[in-house]
Amino acid sequence: MNTEALSRQFTAELDRLSGSAETAARRAAAFDAFSATGFPTRRDEQWRYTDLRPISTAELDFAPASPSAELVSRVSESLERSGFDATASRLVFVDGSYCEALSRTTDAAGISIASLASCSEADLPAHAHAPLDGHPLATLNAAFAREGALIAAEAGARTAAPIELVFAASGHSGIAAQPRILIDLGHGADVTLVQHLLDLEPARGWFNAVTQIVQPPGSQLTLYRLQDHAEHQFHTALTRAELAEDAKLICGYFDLGGRLVRNDFDIRLKGAGADADLYGLFLASSGQHTDNHIRMDHIAPGTRSAEAFRGIIGDRGHGVFNGKVVVHRDAQHIDARQSSDNLLLADNAEIDTKPELEIYADDVKCSHGATIGELDDEQMFYLRARGLADDEARNLLTFAFANTILERIALPELRERIAERVAARLPNDETADKMR
Amino acid sequence: MLTIENLHVAVEEREILKGLDLSVNAGEIHAIMGPNGSGKSTLAQVLAGKDSYSVTQGRVLYRGEDLLDMEPEERARRGVFLAFQYPTEIPGVNNAYLLKAALNARREADGEPQVDAFEFMRLIRSRMELMNISKEFLNRSVNEGFSGGEKKRNEILQMLVLEPSLAVLDETDSGLDVDALKIVAAGVNSLRSDDRAMVLVTHYERLLELIVPDHVHVLSDGRIVKSGDRELARELDARGYDWVQQEAASA
Repeated sequence: MNTEALSRQFTAELDRLSGSAETAARRAAAFDAFSATGFPTRRDEQWRYTDLRPISTAELDFAPASPSAELVSRVSESLERSGFDATASRLVFVDGSYCEALSRTTDAAGISIASLASCSEADLPAHAHAPLDGHPLATLNAAFAREGALIAAEAGARTAAPIELVFAASGHSGIAAQPRILIDLGHGADVTLVQHLLDLEPARGWFNAVTQIVQPPGSQLTLYRLQDHAEHQFHTALTRAELAEDAKLICGYFDLGGRLVRNDFDIRLKGAGADADLYGLFLASSGQHTDNHIRMDHIAPGTRSAEAFRGIIGDRGHGVFNGKVVVHRDAQHIDARQSSDNLLLADNAEIDTKPELEIYADDVKCSHGATIGELDDEQMFYLRARGLADDEARNLLTFAFANTILERIALPELRERIAERVAARLPNDETADKMR
Repeated sequence: MLTIENLHVAVEEREILKGLDLSVNAGEIHAIMGPNGSGKSTLAQVLAGKDSYSVTQGRVLYRGEDLLDMEPEERARRGVFLAFQYPTEIPGVNNAYLLKAALNARREADGEPQVDAFEFMRLIRSRMELMNISKEFLNRSVNEGFSGGEKKRNEILQMLVLEPSLAVLDETDSGLDVDALKIVAAGVNSLRSDDRAMVLVTHYERLLELIVPDHVHVLSDGRIVKSGDRELARELDARGYDWVQQEAASA
C-alpha cells in the first residue's frame, strides 16, 4: 500500500472518528510522525531480522465494517468449542470492532473493564497519550486506533478469575485491526489478563496492537497471550510497561500462528524491587517468521528481570530472539537473566538469537545464554527402542521441549487449553494429546 | 530365537565386530563376557537397531526373520528389548507416559487391546515393588536426575512390563552396589521362562552368581573365542582374560 493510499484512508478515518479537536490533532501528529519515516526497513538495526514488506505492500483496510450477526454467531460457536470459560469477564473484538453481544463486562470489585470506544476521553488514564516515539508501527496504531480495552483496577483490587480479551478475525482479507489495550492499576492491585487471538478462517490481514501498562508500587499484573492466528495473518504488537517500587509483571506469550509475527517488549523498571518475568514459546514452520524483540531497562537499583523464550522452528521457519538488557547508572544490585533456547526441526529452519547487555552500573548480576539444537539422537533411539514410532518419538520430544515453558502457566485450565493448541500445531498432534 | 552368523560391524570405518557367530534358543540365558573394547556393547546396540553402526557382513535372524532389516521400534514391538548400559535422560517426558506408550505399542503389534490407566496401574504395581521403585517415580521425567542404580532398576522395570521374548542386558550390573544388584537379579530371574531368551553382556562374573547362565561366551577382538558354562565365568573371574586371548591367538 503506497503512502498516498494510506494517507487517503487516514483522512477518511479522521473525519469519521468522533472525539475532540485535541484527539484529532494527536492522531494527525501520530500519522505525520509515521509518514516521516514510513515502515521500518531491515537497514534499521531494530528491524534487521524482520522484513515488513509483506505488510507495507499489502492492500489493507483500516476502517473495517462492524461484524455481521452471522459472523458474531460463528465467533460465539468457536469460543464455545475452544472451551472458553462462559462466566469469565471478557471483551470480544471481531475484525477489530468491539462485539458487545459476546462480551461480559460485569465489574468485579474494584476492577473495571471497558471497550475503549465506549470510554469518554476523560475516562482515559494519562498514559493513554504517552508518546510512542521510536516505534513506527505503534505510532501508526496511535493514528488509527479506535478500539481496544481499558482495564482499570483500584488500589488493592484483585481479579478472582482472569479477564479475557478475545480478538477474532473473520477470514476477510485485508483487514488492518489497530487495537489499543490500556492497563491502569492501583497500588497493590493484582490482575490477571488473558489475550486470545484467533482466526475463524485463514485470511491475510494485519493485527497491530499496542498494550500500555502502568504499574504503581506493589501492583502485580499477569499477562498471558495465546496467539493462535491461521497461517496468513500478519501480527505485530508492542507491549510497553512501567513498573514502580515492588511492582511485578509476568508475561507468558505463546505464538503459534501467523505468517509474520513481531513482538516488541519495552519494559522499564523504574522503582526499587520492581520485577519483570517474561517467558514465551513460539512455533515457526511452513514459512512462518516470528521475532521477539525485547528491551528491558533497569532504571532503579534492586530490580530484577528474567526473559526465557523457547522457539521450535520447522520447515522454512524463521525465529528471532533479540533481547537487550540495559542497566542504567546507579541501578546497582540488579539481577537480569536472559535465555533463548531453540529447537530446529528441519535443515532449512533458521534462528537468529541475540541476547545483549548494556551495563552502566558496577554491582550487578547479569546472565544470558542462547542454545540452538536439534532433537537428541540418543533420546530418539531410546524411545524407538521402546517401541515408539519415529514420528511419535519426534513429537514427544518436541512437546517435552515446549512443556518447560507451558509448565510455567499458573492457571491449570489455561495451561491445558494452551497445551492443547501447542500440541495441535506440532507436526503430528496425536502423541502430545495422549501425553497429557 | 536368535541366530547371529558371521556378523561384521564397523563404526566410522573401524571394524569392531569381525565375524561373530552366536545361537540362542528360547529358554536359554547366554552371558557374553570380555575385556573392554572387545565389542560387547556394540553387539547389544546393533541388536537393538542403533543406526550409527554399520553392518558390513553377516546376518542376524530373530525367530527366523531378518532382524537387521527392522526399524528399532519394530524390533521392540516384536519383543526385542535392550536394557541400556547408559539409559538416556529425557527431560519433560514422564516415566508413566513412556511405560504406557511402550506397552501399548507392543500390545498393538500383538493384536491385543490397549491398556487403560486403571489396568496399567494394576499391571505395574507389583513390578514396581519388586524393583523397589516408589510411586512418585512415575511422574518424574525419564531417567532425569536418577542415580546410576535407579536408572538400571528402571530399565529392568521396563523389561518386566514389556515382557520381551529376547532381552539383551548391556552391563546392567555396572555401577550397582550389592543390594541393587540383588534387586536387579531378582527382576531378571522373575522373567526367566521357557519361551524367552536373554543375553547378558557383562564384564564381571558377580552378576552371573545371581543370574545363572546356561552358556558363557568370551568375546575378544570382535569374535567369540571361547564358549562354556558358568564354570568358564568363574575361571575368567579368577584368571582374567589374557589366557583366553592367548589361546585364541595361538589357535
